[in-house]
Amino acid sequence: MISEPIPTAQPARQMANRFDPYEDNGGTTMALAGEDFCIVAADTRQSDGYHINCRYAPKAHQLSDKTVIGTSGFYADGICLVKRIKQRMEWYYHQHDKVMSTPALAQLLSVMLYQKRFFPYYCFTILGGLDEEGKGCVFDYDSVGNVERVKYQAEGSGKELLQPFLDSQIGLKNRATDDVLDLTEEKAIKIVKDAFSSVTERDIHTGDCVEIYIIRKDGIECEKYPLKRD
Amino acid sequence: MATKTGFNFDNYQRNLFLEHGKENNMKLPKATKTGTTIVGLMFKDGIVLGADTRATEGPIVADKNCEKIHYIAPNMYCCGAGTAADTEMTTALISSNIELHRLNTGREARVVTAMTMLKQLLFKYQGHIGAALILGGVDCTGPHLYTIYPHGSTDKLPYVTMGSGSLAAMAVFESKYKKDLERQEAIDLVAEAIQAGIFNDMGSGSNVDVCVLTKGKVDYLRNYIKPNVRKEKEQVYKFNLGVTPVIKESIRNLVDVVEVNEMEIDQ
Amino acid sequence: MFLTRSEYDRGVNTFSPEGRLFQVEYAIEAIKMGSTAIGIQTSEGVILAVEKRITSTLLEPSSIEKILEIDSHIGCAMSGLNADARTMIDHARVQAQNHTFVYDEPIKVESITQAVCDLALRFGEGAQGEESIMSRPFGVALLIAGCDENGPQLFHADPSGTFTKYQAKAIGSGSEGAQTELQENYHKSLTLKEAEVLSLKVLKQVMEEKVNSVNVQLCSVTPEKGYRLYTEEEVNEIISAI
Repeated sequence: MISEPIPTAQPARQMANRFDPYEDNGGTTMALAGEDFCIVAADTRQSDGYHINCRYAPKAHQLSDKTVIGTSGFYADGICLVKRIKQRMEWYYHQHDKVMSTPALAQLLSVMLYQKRFFPYYCFTILGGLDEEGKGCVFDYDSVGNVERVKYQAEGSGKELLQPFLDSQIGLKNRATDDVLDLTEEKAIKIVKDAFSSVTERDIHTGDCVEIYIIRKDGIECEKYPLKRD
Repeated sequence: MATKTGFNFDNYQRNLFLEHGKENNMKLPKATKTGTTIVGLMFKDGIVLGADTRATEGPIVADKNCEKIHYIAPNMYCCGAGTAADTEMTTALISSNIELHRLNTGREARVVTAMTMLKQLLFKYQGHIGAALILGGVDCTGPHLYTIYPHGSTDKLPYVTMGSGSLAAMAVFESKYKKDLERQEAIDLVAEAIQAGIFNDMGSGSNVDVCVLTKGKVDYLRNYIKPNVRKEKEQVYKFNLGVTPVIKESIRNLVDVVEVNEMEIDQ
Repeated sequence: MFLTRSEYDRGVNTFSPEGRLFQVEYAIEAIKMGSTAIGIQTSEGVILAVEKRITSTLLEPSSIEKILEIDSHIGCAMSGLNADARTMIDHARVQAQNHTFVYDEPIKVESITQAVCDLALRFGEGAQGEESIMSRPFGVALLIAGCDENGPQLFHADPSGTFTKYQAKAIGSGSEGAQTELQENYHKSLTLKEAEVLSLKVLKQVMEEKVNSVNVQLCSVTPEKGYRLYTEEEVNEIISAI
């Protein structure tokens, strides 16, 4: 006889066709802040499972002369969020007669994301630009509005591959020697290109092309760098 | 102690535990899957097999240049898609059995024999062996091309594709396949189909492997096309000497060195 | 039925044939009965000064508050119906806090003035979709002083929802005389110290009672210290400098 009661094996109760409005369209984004510049980069592949929806679907968007945003995750939520941010910036411009600064935008974005705490935008956002003093700044978000100001950050499907590389090359982490990072714009762009071509090698959701936004005090430049398409 | 009745409930608790694995916070180990494009077609003189060379672990590329066209017998090769270990082991096992079969019969094994052995094995395991195969070869009865699904069903067709890139590859075949292609035409078509998989299916990538099987001759064209050679990096990432921090240092003496005077030995 | 002239002042949203809104004009009249308030903007900051009418010896002077803080960088002086001002300032405070919460930056002085003026127009029947919250116009005028990225600024907001930027402005019962006085004495290179003295000097001229530390209230808004209400001792010091 069995003394202990045995839990009856029940079929896993699954709700068939449960409403699931989210999708993961992959993609990798990153940003890094220099002394007087900032770089925001994002690949342009949009995918669903093993399928490539689009080889050129921009994930980085210019918001002003001083700010660029990068989103990854659910592409539809990403573009919707960007659209709403642009609308809020327009309102702000008319209401306060000035362009929203990067730190103000950073806070607004956090509030906007948290406003949808229980039905979030399924996207991982990075905001990069110049602050009021003209210094490079990067803000990193989770999908419900937690925000952190950082020096550099990777997000999206390739972040596990990319972040350690940035930690090593920009953060100069875990070094016995006291190397000093002299991060020039040229060097930063090289690092970004190598970062993306390397991630493309190992992350299937990243590839096709990377758009690199370089934000300087006298304007924003966008460079397209081709990636492998397999 | 053996039970007296005909039923044995020894594994009931264990099975229950496994069934509720998720609730018990238990994760089953994940196997490497080769999200793959493999194809095969019949041409005028024989069979052409093709495969990409990417192996993945979820979204990560595990191997950029793996081999998916496996040896079965001198006149037979087999492309594998699915769980890497399963394709590897099943083809190796059948390869051994085919060799034993050849030794026992004194004849070169037929493709249909290998196909039957494979499907019987896979059917026995009810789909738990995740191997989706394309078997091609030329024997005394001519060229043959089979697909074998993980549950044990088989097809015999003039042109076939399998793996996650099968639709992309089949699109090429459906638009361009013709009966009795020339050898080079067949190779080109196979390469094109594989490249359709490489570029349009994210489970497939890197290079094109091709294997041409004709009567009495096999040409294994490893990395027949390399359409995805990496560009040179912008920078060299060489770490200077002494960059790695030393956290702890300990030296152990494995031998005791004793100084002995030569004069003493003489004495 | 034809409305006689005097009947146009009944509806708060009814224009007279000459194109006037009598109720709004009456509201502006109400301010002219209010206590005098003065604002002076300098390059170093803004000074707000008001008179307190101590109508009874039994009145507790500290219970009259005519200068209030909106945010740490914005202050406000009022003249007219003080109770109405409370509503406006409450609104302004909420707007300022909300702006800081959403944008992580202090709101601009002009923006807060605009917000207050938007509220001032929400009387009457309420437009489509917008609920009206008041049955009549506010009977108060505000002097809003603050410092932001555009430097020290002074705004005047009246019951019609109009706001104007001033270098120096007087409102209330003594405003006419005070404004003339300000016009004569104001110059661009005024220091904050000089503005303190000038504000009380002008108040002194238009007030019936003698100026002392109890019947006037004074505040400054500077880029360094923001809004700061002066203590009685500080006021006494300035009085002695007049």
